[in-house]
Amino acid sequence: MSEPDTSPEPTDPAETSDGPADPGWQRVHPLTPLLRSWQVLAIGVVFFGQDIGESIVSGDGLGSGIASDVASNRLIGVLAGLAVLAAIVLWAYVSWRCTRYRVTAEALELHQGVIARQHRHAPLDRLQAVDITEPLIGRALGLAKLTLEVAGGGNSRIEIAFLTEAHARQLRNHLLAAAGGLQSDTDAPPQVADSPAHRTMTVPTGRLVGSIVLTGATVWIVGAVAAVVASIAFTGELGFTFGLLPVLLGAGSLMWQRFSRGFGFRIALGTDGVRLRHGLLEQRTQTVPTGRVQAVRLHQPLLWRLTGWWLVEANVAGYGAGGSNDGSLSTSIVLPVGTLDDAFTVLTFVVPSLPHEPAIVTGSSHEAGFVAAPRRARWVDPVGWRRHGYRVTDHALLLRGGRLRRHLDVVPHARTQSCAVWQGPLQRRLGLASFELHSTPGPISPRCDHLAAPVAADLLEQQATRARTARATATDAWLSPARG
Amino acid sequence: MPWHPDAVHADPFDPAGVAWSPVSPRLATARRITTLVTAAVPIVVLALIAVTVDTGWPWFVAGAIGLLAAWSLWAIGRQTRSIGYAERDEELLVRTGIMWRRIVVVPYGRLQYVDVIAGPLDRMLGIARVQLHTASAGSDAAIPGLTPDDAARLRERLTARGQSRLAGL
Repeated sequence: MSEPDTSPEPTDPAETSDGPADPGWQRVHPLTPLLRSWQVLAIGVVFFGQDIGESIVSGDGLGSGIASDVASNRLIGVLAGLAVLAAIVLWAYVSWRCTRYRVTAEALELHQGVIARQHRHAPLDRLQAVDITEPLIGRALGLAKLTLEVAGGGNSRIEIAFLTEAHARQLRNHLLAAAGGLQSDTDAPPQVADSPAHRTMTVPTGRLVGSIVLTGATVWIVGAVAAVVASIAFTGELGFTFGLLPVLLGAGSLMWQRFSRGFGFRIALGTDGVRLRHGLLEQRTQTVPTGRVQAVRLHQPLLWRLTGWWLVEANVAGYGAGGSNDGSLSTSIVLPVGTLDDAFTVLTFVVPSLPHEPAIVTGSSHEAGFVAAPRRARWVDPVGWRRHGYRVTDHALLLRGGRLRRHLDVVPHARTQSCAVWQGPLQRRLGLASFELHSTPGPISPRCDHLAAPVAADLLEQQATRARTARATATDAWLSPARG
Repeated sequence: MPWHPDAVHADPFDPAGVAWSPVSPRLATARRITTLVTAAVPIVVLALIAVTVDTGWPWFVAGAIGLLAAWSLWAIGRQTRSIGYAERDEELLVRTGIMWRRIVVVPYGRLQYVDVIAGPLDRMLGIARVQLHTASAGSDAAIPGLTPDDAARLRERLTARGQSRLAGL
């Protein structure tokens, strides 16, 4: 990763000869329309080139090819193709001229659109995450796209495409500093250096491959292969191998997607927050300020108990319920695979003042200080009832569950939205109730099942009070000097 | 350990010192009308089939649907009587259900916006529904069956309290 260049000013507005009238407005890189519509252009080039190629291959040569084109009226087709290409280039130039953005002290503004003008305004104090994405073509050209998640509901994220890599990084650092409360006068240069990282962790490729192999998809593949082999052995018809195709395609594409999204996964924990970098073809760098993580989950699928690996996911407002299976949105996975130590390091960074006791995750309820489900819960959940429980710390609520597939959910008090208790008829018979905590849309829905009913009532009351106190004392400016 | 001895008999659906406000019985009427219409359509269709094709099995299915509808009509009354809401100092409580009971606590400071919704049937019967929105999709607390005046007043109170306690995400 090259260092940002020394000049602190991003693209000077005076550089562009017909610069926008108001100061501070900046343009995106001129190659942007090319990158946005490269598929259309590629099709046009292929179509055009095929035409020329045909005439060459048929042995007539280029000149006689055009002469025969005139004779057979194909020249009109060629001219029409040229006209379309020219129109595309003109439209690309106009849409580049119409796109501009500006960073003020309170917001990021983006104006774009040729026919349907779109003015988007994102307040910086609602910043949830800043992502820098470099698609494959962009990496070849050194360009990147910056996305700002604001969680305004619906489609409120702002996407500035494309900027040079260095410029995108400068802009990101500036946005994070401004949102974090670092006071900067308008004359002083914006914050451009990457913030220092206290701790960096990487996921080795071997471990990533192992984690992908040890999933349910592999079980499906093995089962399908076994079934096909058995049916071939019994009936002697080789046609059964075609039954393998859909399973292989489905599972294979899932595995490839996970590998390609998780390749070179690197976490940096610093003053900025959590910075994740990952991707094989399309490289993505996500930065989530610490105060914007709504909930964290440590999760261990069944097969990973053999190797002791854990998965860490987070709810980030704005990333939505994409979770781990969405190809287009940013991933909500903070650590795709790691040892318990790694997972705990990430967890204690995101939720400070968490006691550093791995027994929280793996130990029994009593030794971990959890309030557990009572014994009669075994009638409704015979497998996992021993592991259900909750624990309250100064800053967060820990909810635990799962016997075979263990998980631990951590929700900071200040990030609680609302809570609920519900009770089915069987639970009422046994005097149990389930408690659930509502958080922003994401892969985590924190809940604790089958607590004793009075305990659930108490937790409901106390949690509302704790959340209110935490909201009153929480501050949004995590970088301001007053916080020390 | 946050477990107080005097909480032994605490019921999560009946917190101490909370006065629950009921909703209008016209909600039961609205739901019953909807159930009747929803059940009548397949019953009529099945009756037509039975008459034209002259077989017996559609009558059984129609009978089953009719029994289900009759049970629904009876259960709706109990369900709407079980809906209650309460405004406390810092949060709104909504509880529903008889067999599957649920109570939601929504802090005022987390309310993003409040909707008052009334479909055509609701308007005819003079009721409306107040829908709360927070940043979470799960806390979709809704209070159906309020009179339009009550609903508008509740929305104003909630919005005012929400704005005075608004917290960042």
